[in-house]
Amino acid sequence: MKEQQPKTSRFLLISLTLLFTLTVCIFSFLGFYMSHKSRETIRAVSQMYMSGISEQISMHFETTIGLRLEQLEALVKTVVSETIHEDPAMQQNLIENAQAREFTYLAFYRTDGTFDMLYGSPLEVVDQGPFLDSLSRGEQKVAIGNDAEDNRVILLGVPSPHQPTDRHPCVALVAGLPASYINDTLSLDENDDHIYSYIIRDDGSFVIRTGGAFRDSYFERVRSLYQFSNGKTAEQYISELIAAIANDENYFSEVIVDGEPRQMYCTSLSHSEWNLITFMPYSTLDEMVNGFTSHWIKIVIAVCILVLTVLLLVFRQYFTLLRGQMNELDKARKEAIYANKAKSEFLSNMSHDIRTPMNAIVGMTAIATANLNDSQQVQNCLRKISLSSKHLLGLINDVLDMSKIESGKLTLNTDQVSLREVMDSVVSIVQPQVRAKHQQFEVSIYDITTENVCCDSIRLNQVLINLLGNAVKFTPEQGTIRVSMYQEPSLKGDDYVRIHLAVKDNGIGMSPELRNKVFESFVREDSARVRKTEGSGLGMAITKYIVDAMEGTIEVDSELGQGSEFRVTLDLEKAQVMEADMVLPDWKMLVVDDDKLLCESAVSSLESIGIKADWTLDAESALTLVAEHHRKHDDYQIILLDWKLPGMDGISAAREIRRLYGNDFPILLISAYDWSEIETEAKDAGITGFISKPLFKSTLFYGLKPFLDPIENQEELPEQEMDDFRGRRVLLAEDNDLNWEIASELLSELGLELEWAENGKICVEQFNASAPGTYDAILMDLRMPVMTGYEATTAIRALDREDAKTIPIIAMTADAFTEDIQKCIQCGMNAHVAKPIDIREISRLLKKYFS
Amino acid sequence: MNLNDCYEAMGGNYDEAIGRLRSERLVQKFVLKFLDDGSFDLLCRSVEAGDCTEAFRAAHTIKGVCQNLSLTKLQISSSALAEALRGGSWSEGSAELVEQVKADYQQTAAAIRAFQEANAG
Repeated sequence: MKEQQPKTSRFLLISLTLLFTLTVCIFSFLGFYMSHKSRETIRAVSQMYMSGISEQISMHFETTIGLRLEQLEALVKTVVSETIHEDPAMQQNLIENAQAREFTYLAFYRTDGTFDMLYGSPLEVVDQGPFLDSLSRGEQKVAIGNDAEDNRVILLGVPSPHQPTDRHPCVALVAGLPASYINDTLSLDENDDHIYSYIIRDDGSFVIRTGGAFRDSYFERVRSLYQFSNGKTAEQYISELIAAIANDENYFSEVIVDGEPRQMYCTSLSHSEWNLITFMPYSTLDEMVNGFTSHWIKIVIAVCILVLTVLLLVFRQYFTLLRGQMNELDKARKEAIYANKAKSEFLSNMSHDIRTPMNAIVGMTAIATANLNDSQQVQNCLRKISLSSKHLLGLINDVLDMSKIESGKLTLNTDQVSLREVMDSVVSIVQPQVRAKHQQFEVSIYDITTENVCCDSIRLNQVLINLLGNAVKFTPEQGTIRVSMYQEPSLKGDDYVRIHLAVKDNGIGMSPELRNKVFESFVREDSARVRKTEGSGLGMAITKYIVDAMEGTIEVDSELGQGSEFRVTLDLEKAQVMEADMVLPDWKMLVVDDDKLLCESAVSSLESIGIKADWTLDAESALTLVAEHHRKHDDYQIILLDWKLPGMDGISAAREIRRLYGNDFPILLISAYDWSEIETEAKDAGITGFISKPLFKSTLFYGLKPFLDPIENQEELPEQEMDDFRGRRVLLAEDNDLNWEIASELLSELGLELEWAENGKICVEQFNASAPGTYDAILMDLRMPVMTGYEATTAIRALDREDAKTIPIIAMTADAFTEDIQKCIQCGMNAHVAKPIDIREISRLLKKYFS
Repeated sequence: MNLNDCYEAMGGNYDEAIGRLRSERLVQKFVLKFLDDGSFDLLCRSVEAGDCTEAFRAAHTIKGVCQNLSLTKLQISSSALAEALRGGSWSEGSAELVEQVKADYQQTAAAIRAFQEANAG
């Protein structure tokens, strides 16, 4: 794990760098490519533009020169004749016409290349050959010449073949215009300096120079001034240009003049041997292109940075996540190691704990074997073996429970539970331990509205025994342990009741650290402090688990040296059981107990079963009350006395009451302690009987019932009901003859007509064979050969006859297990009575179903 | 030897039996019939045959009869046996429980026979 982290970080870092580089490369390429592309496009665009301009200039040249040539031709046609040399008037007319058309020079051009000037200073053609040739062939031609003052002159020649009088024949009429005329008309030298043009001959010599050009040949200018990008030399450029001119093609190139890049475009001009070269400085376009490119690059860089930032953020986030996961993994691993360690420690402790009682068992067995004849010794050994085995069994049970919990196999078996039975059994289990440690033990219940609830009684017992067991264990001798229970309406609805259970002691208590982890598995109080206490250390974890499984809560309050209090809250479903009518005569009773809540609760329970009762908190005031009522001839008929009272205790009080008022009314002791330990003393003091705390309504009812008048108690029910069942026919399924006879004997007394079915199958057949309505009820034993009571009931309920679903079927069984009762109900039985046959219970049920 | 002595001898609860059946005549009648009840034979046969289910049912029936007649001692041991066999298999210690039931049955039967003889004679 530790090496894993830098490894992952390194991997991340490398991939991040790679991605980074890749992104930068991609964007650089894009930038470069796009700028190159745009440069090319611009070049193509500017070429088009340049060719357009050149075309325009050359068209302009053509029309201008063409116009001039036409004027000259008109002059030739109208004016010139064979006789012009002899006719001064005609000559004068020609000159006037020419001057009117703004020609600065006018001359006849002789075949020998000399001029016969009509007006203007004498002229000289710069490149005479081609000019003369063209004119001689009858073509119109333009050429350049110099006058006497060495001014450059544009010469326009129109063939005019006539024979003048002097020695040389004349080939053409030539008119001259100042060279600036072309400059002006064609605007070759643009003012804004952006675009300018030259006119050159095929050999590179200038016809018209503009700007700073001073050399005679353009090529020379090229050689000395121009530089070229893209590796071209001046000579290459010149030869390309010459070739293009020779082929009469247009030529485009880029050149650098005075360090400034320009584009040049060359095209030929008509009526001449001339070529127009136009230049446009590149900077204008370049600026635009560069502006565009830099803008583009900026965008690319911005996008690149954006992408990189996002990339970086994503990586960072991923890295953080990854690290979080790593840390969690590490934590989980540590926890697992911790849990594992706790388990191994627990295992080693457990092994030790198991060995101790095991050693005792082995040792005691050996001693017993060696002393087989000494029965007292053997008995002693057996007692110790029995103790150790019980202890061992407890440990192993805990471990088994925990392993069930850990594997998720611990489930609850919910059935109907009497809280009274639960409390009674818990109290009776804890009593011996409490007695052994001479501890005060108090049980109080109050506000109990529902005694029967649906719950897993074994697990509920386990919870209480665990809590109480711990309380006893961790409370020194003479300490106090108090268990209380009360009910309140549940938030889960009317079908539920909320039960609060609390176990409080004033023992050694817990440190805050232990309190926080008391419900964890495999945790045990520091053995140094409680060396003598024993146990698996699983009790509280199991308790917590059970309470959780019951959807309840468990809380703990504890302070070191002050004691602990565990509170369990459960919402349990109310059991749907018919509670027997608990009614007793309206006796006048007195309840004496130092617990006010208990008194109030007991009095209200007594009232609900028809008894009027007073209560008081101590023996002294009880004596006063008894005396008062005696004076008024309204004596208490039964007195309930707590054993442990402040001041005078219950037994002394009983003795005093007996001494003063005689023996003809019962005095009962109420206590959470075991009756047997005080029975003799209590009986001697005149106490009639004992009711064990906690005082549920049913506890009181069954505790007080024996004091009903015996005659009243016995005769009431059967006689009354005997008449009720006359003429009723009942089918009784029972496999045992003797049981059948007994049932038959007893039930006949009720006037019932009984028919016997020896097993479930016969029962079904007999029922099916009878006419509907023959039987008023079926009493069904559950364990029968051939067909059990469950199967028989299912079969009967499935029969196709009108009373199959309605006939009451009552189960009779010796098993009082709740799962049996539930199974009965599931099979379709109406009710269940326990064996041995209780005639009153059966008659009560029959009465219910017959009505 | 009266019926009360008989109950004493077999570890039963005579008062409870009277309370349930309401007359000494009935108690006597059924107690004597107890000797004819086949459940104990069924138990012995099932145990020998190793049929746990039948043995359970037999023990269960004995328990039921004993409850009805308040033959407490035999009821306790037969009840314990029934619980041991309830799961449907022979568990450890069930052999001892069978022996206990047998012993208690012999004691009960002997007491009833003694009573029978005393009254017949």
